[in-house]
Amino acid sequence: MYVELKNINKYYGSFKASDNVNFGIEQGKLVALLGPSGSGKTTILRMIAGLEHPDEGEILIDGKVVNNIPASKRGIGFVFQSYALFKYMTVFDNVAFGLEVQKVPKAEIKERVHELVELVGLKGLENRFPNQLSGGQRQRVAFARALAPNPKLLLLDEPFAAIDAKIRQELRSWLKEMIEKLGITSIFVTHDQDEAIEVSDQIIITNKGRIEQIGTPIEVYQNPQTAFSASFFGHPAELPDYTKFNSFEKRDDVDKAFVRPEFIKVTKKTEDQFYKHSAVEGVVEQTFFRGDTIELLIKVNDTYITARRGLDEGIIEIGETVDVFIYRIFVTSGEKAYLIKNSALREESVVI
Amino acid sequence: MALKRRAKQVRVIPGFRLTLGITIALLSLLILIPLASVLVYSFQLSPAEFWKLITAKNVLTAFGTSIVCSVIAALINAVFGLILAWVLVKYDFPGKRILDGLIELPFALPTAVAGITLSKMYSNTGFPGSFFSSIGIDVSYTHIGIVLALIFIGIPFTVRAVQPVLEKIDDQYEEAAYILGSSRTRTFWKVIFPELFPALLTGFGLALARGIGEYGSVIYISGNSAKNGTQVVSYVIMQKLERMDYASATAIALVLLIISFALLFVINIIQIRRAKRISLR
Amino acid sequence: MEILDEKELKAKKRTKYILIAVSVIFIVFLLVLPLISIVVNSLKKGLDFYFSALSTEYVLSSLGVTLLATVIAVIVNTIFGVIAAWLLTKFTFRGQHVLSTLIDIPFSISPVIAGLAFIMTFGSLGWASGIIDSINNALGTNIRIVFAIPGVVLATIFVTFPFVSREIVPVLNSVGRDEEEAAALMGAKGFTIFRRVTFPHIKWALLYGVILCTARALGEFGAVSALSKTRGKTFTLPLEIDALYMSGSADSITAAFAASSLLVVIALIVLVLRNILEFGVLNKKKKKGKDR
Repeated sequence: MYVELKNINKYYGSFKASDNVNFGIEQGKLVALLGPSGSGKTTILRMIAGLEHPDEGEILIDGKVVNNIPASKRGIGFVFQSYALFKYMTVFDNVAFGLEVQKVPKAEIKERVHELVELVGLKGLENRFPNQLSGGQRQRVAFARALAPNPKLLLLDEPFAAIDAKIRQELRSWLKEMIEKLGITSIFVTHDQDEAIEVSDQIIITNKGRIEQIGTPIEVYQNPQTAFSASFFGHPAELPDYTKFNSFEKRDDVDKAFVRPEFIKVTKKTEDQFYKHSAVEGVVEQTFFRGDTIELLIKVNDTYITARRGLDEGIIEIGETVDVFIYRIFVTSGEKAYLIKNSALREESVVI
Repeated sequence: MALKRRAKQVRVIPGFRLTLGITIALLSLLILIPLASVLVYSFQLSPAEFWKLITAKNVLTAFGTSIVCSVIAALINAVFGLILAWVLVKYDFPGKRILDGLIELPFALPTAVAGITLSKMYSNTGFPGSFFSSIGIDVSYTHIGIVLALIFIGIPFTVRAVQPVLEKIDDQYEEAAYILGSSRTRTFWKVIFPELFPALLTGFGLALARGIGEYGSVIYISGNSAKNGTQVVSYVIMQKLERMDYASATAIALVLLIISFALLFVINIIQIRRAKRISLR
Repeated sequence: MEILDEKELKAKKRTKYILIAVSVIFIVFLLVLPLISIVVNSLKKGLDFYFSALSTEYVLSSLGVTLLATVIAVIVNTIFGVIAAWLLTKFTFRGQHVLSTLIDIPFSISPVIAGLAFIMTFGSLGWASGIIDSINNALGTNIRIVFAIPGVVLATIFVTFPFVSREIVPVLNSVGRDEEEAAALMGAKGFTIFRRVTFPHIKWALLYGVILCTARALGEFGAVSALSKTRGKTFTLPLEIDALYMSGSADSITAAFAASSLLVVIALIVLVLRNILEFGVLNKKKKKGKDR
């Protein structure tokens, strides 16, 4: 493990920002710290950076306990949420700042800065001031500035939050590519699950100061293990009473049930529905064109659920009565979460 | 040449003509026309006459005194303004709000009251004047006294110019410099001070402009001695007025106005340039 | 941000205490000591003397002139301030910047020049003195401006001219024009928009501007001094203080400080109000922040 947090606790007054946090990150991985705002993800990042100090527990970087090592000696680079570029310095001076502080010879600084500016694709803009750059360009400068002192670990706080949606996509791929190319261990904080899934090798889900789950994007997506993960990941909707949908066995220990849009099959009355007798009827209340899919808001027994249909499937009108079949749901029981499959899937597969 | 065509500007909010009319009318009547009268009168003087009046020995001395004392006071205010703003923004301590509230006292206290008080305090019989005179420093009726009075009236300008800018500087800048290994001193001078500098310069300029024309708070403590060169420009103008020497009074006033406007102009340029820098998110 | 290096932490604390100490000493010496000095000086000859010094004919007359000039100046400048602030923030037009600079002129020129300006306009050499004379001839009146009450009022208006607008403009600039435009598109008339939409944003700034304007009007000295020569008739309180102080006897100097103490009380009230207003606005902002 390149970075390790052991039993970290952090309080702000009576507020517990980190609650017994434990995790390890392998060298060369790009890791996302994902959680809603106030979940403690930024606190974790700032503690690794040395901007905050844990009240209890140990932080290890490259096998060394760094609790008492100041930020500048930890071998990290930090990209701030709004970049914190020094407004009164040019791109060159911003990138050179960390090297000048270390008293690196001038010629060497010049060489390194030019190398980095070229790497991030801003060659020719060395003498611009930050306010003469676009949002995306500023992020690249922040990235170059963080990399200048040759850090072994790169920390990024909501790196895409301050950028227009249009170029965010482009920057995501750019950053992922860049980090892979450099092979530098990186941790970034985000509240956007799509971003975490798309960019990272590994996701750490935080909630209320705790680590909820750690895994690859696919693992975390397919197997939410905690109540929070199940309720957070994959745009789930809560089902107030899942037993109203056919073929789900009632269980006593269930607290809440969640369904994701991709768990639902909607068929028109005129279409074939394999699990017809396990489906329930619902009325389409709203349709939303989402570009690649049509999203349907369907009222089933006083419950509203959201489902999707492909564009090539038959068009569904508002007010139309449709068959709704739910393949599976996530249910939570205390802190745990598990998957329940529709019993029709089992029975009928036996029949066939 | 191509004809420039501009769409007629649409103003949705009502009241443009009315407010423009009232504003210009009041401004002209109460401020601009009276000031123009000074200009008109001073232009009636021949250049030679004008030159003779403003280069009279006591006038030149007064300009020297006003400018030098104001510059020194404004510089001292810039230093203390920066320290006070820093303390009020960055630290928490008991009595901070009172300290913050007191900064504005020189705005609220009449200048004549400040003037007689400072004069009395720093005379040989007052406290702390008696202490200073016992160590051989006379404050009242010297240039030191003038500088002191100008520090008094100028301090709110520098503090209030720097304070809001300092409040807005995001901690991220300090943190970014800290992570890159910068010492606190270096961070201050390289990262924070450049952000504050335009504001500090504005405060300095405002304090200076105020100081050069100051009258009430200065005239008691200065002693107004032509021999010792402790007359300030405003005092000389008032003296000329009292002697009905309107030619001298307007000539001196014109020069003082030009100095004030030049300062105001520079301050405005600084602020516009700063606004431009910040405007791009 | 937390600093881990113990040496640096110590240095940081040391800097903090040194800077706080410097600030406190500076403020106490420069600002607090004079306040104490005024009170001590005014009570030097006892309370009886204090009250009799405040109730002389001259002091009472000067108080009346001061209050009259202040009330008129505050009314004129408040109306002007609101209108000018509306103009400068709700519209974009050529010469906007020049206009806003012109309004700030009284702020940065010597008050003595303000006095001089009115003398050169309405005095015996002034071009407007002929106009005043012909008005007097036509109406049989005896209006005088310079060295009379109207001059004092004009000078007071001049020096406090930008105070109200200066407080409102930044507030309106930060609020923007969206709300007014929305109201106008819904057909609201100018005054309704001001009263219902704009005023709630600026009421605290306006109040503070009025308070500041009042304080400065009460205390104006230089400009009024040039235009007012008759003690007991056209003297304002600061002029009376000046006359008492300059007469030089120990009694009259104490009386000067007694009269000053009135203005000190007003100055302190202004400061307290300012802090209450600012505190109120800050609290409101904090609440709003929480709502989001």
